[in-house]
Amino acid sequence: MEFSKFLNSSSKLNIILIISFSISVNSFILFPNVNNAFYILFHLTLIYLIFYHYHYYLYVLAFIYGILFDLLLLNNIGAHLITFLSLLTLFIFLRRYLIRLSSYQIIFIYFITLVILLLIEQLLAILIHNYKFNFSSFFNFFLISLIIFIPTVFLFTKLDK
Amino acid sequence: MAPKFQIKVFQISSLVKNFIIISIVTLSFLLVFFSKSDLYLINGIKNISSSVIIPITRAISAPVNAFSNFVDEYNNFRSLKFENKILQEEIIRLKKWQTLAIQNSRENKVLKKLLNATDNNLTLVKTASLINRNDTLYTKLINLNAGYDDKIMKNMSVINERGLVGKVIDTTANNSRVILLTDPNLSISVKSISDGIFSLLTGKGDGKYLVSSFVKENKMPRLGDIVVTSGTTQIFPVDLLVGKVAKVEKNRFFVLPFVDFKNIDYVQIVTSE
Repeated sequence: MEFSKFLNSSSKLNIILIISFSISVNSFILFPNVNNAFYILFHLTLIYLIFYHYHYYLYVLAFIYGILFDLLLLNNIGAHLITFLSLLTLFIFLRRYLIRLSSYQIIFIYFITLVILLLIEQLLAILIHNYKFNFSSFFNFFLISLIIFIPTVFLFTKLDK
Repeated sequence: MAPKFQIKVFQISSLVKNFIIISIVTLSFLLVFFSKSDLYLINGIKNISSSVIIPITRAISAPVNAFSNFVDEYNNFRSLKFENKILQEEIIRLKKWQTLAIQNSRENKVLKKLLNATDNNLTLVKTASLINRNDTLYTKLINLNAGYDDKIMKNMSVINERGLVGKVIDTTANNSRVILLTDPNLSISVKSISDGIFSLLTGKGDGKYLVSSFVKENKMPRLGDIVVTSGTTQIFPVDLLVGKVAKVEKNRFFVLPFVDFKNIDYVQIVTSE
């Protein structure tokens, strides 16, 4: 409790971002779904930061994480970097409309954004890096997203309070 | 005076903010555009990602890694008695094979001398250990603790005691990145031992099997046939063990690699003489 006083919710979310990034780029042979879950948690945290704690420093963050994800997972810069920066730019244009939405609508858009983000990353990986699309891995992402989405939103809301 | 000052500060910060955003977006597009080139900046970023970021991420994910290792150790301990029995049987079997292999090796040497044939020996560049792996999401990559300081270069072959592991795709001073055989983006030219059928194999994507993407003259190898590198593409040395034909279909066949990709600790980087 004492420790949490020193950190605001944005800093806590940034710590989650670092931890989820670190775990998702280190494969654990016995628990491959741990990697997938933390990879999705990273995306959820990033979208949450953009939606609720937008600041222009997120461009720098998206730039760094995008490059690192691309280099560590695909060995070439592209898919993640473009997706993260596009999401930020799109958010700036759509912010005025998002503010008008109810909390349930925002939660729905939050989930849709996550799925679209994961899909676009795979599609860009095919286009730029000639990565072969694996439907089962995307389906796995979708299932994990469904499972961890509500607990994550609950956790983030708690952190924000 | 005060409001004027405030407005001025806001204008400057907004300008700086826009400048940073535009710079980042421009730099990103340039990086994407030149990412496959050998530019100094790209190599620098790759160098930092493998020599600085990987150790940091490993340190942060250490608790998960420790837990994973503990579960692995526990599973190994549980199956110890059963494994011991299998190993004893295997020792007896291998001793018989060893005697036969020594005989064949002697015979081989004599025959090569008679034919005046040259050996196709491999040169060991370095034995390296695995520092981390990124083979769950997207590509199947592993990172090794040896780089161009140890004379490791791009496109060198990586093997272990069971056979071909993959190919070096990137090197920094002290690290190298290896693409595994099971990656769908890696193609290897192989031939079957019994029939000498040439084909191209790629990873199936499930991390287990390799699938043929091209078979010369559409001749299918037999089930259980052993597949080795053909050496025709001059990337992989000839006759490196790849795997066993596990399934044959009308236009393609599947190969189960000899290497257990889940248990790679040490590998050897080799090149043909």
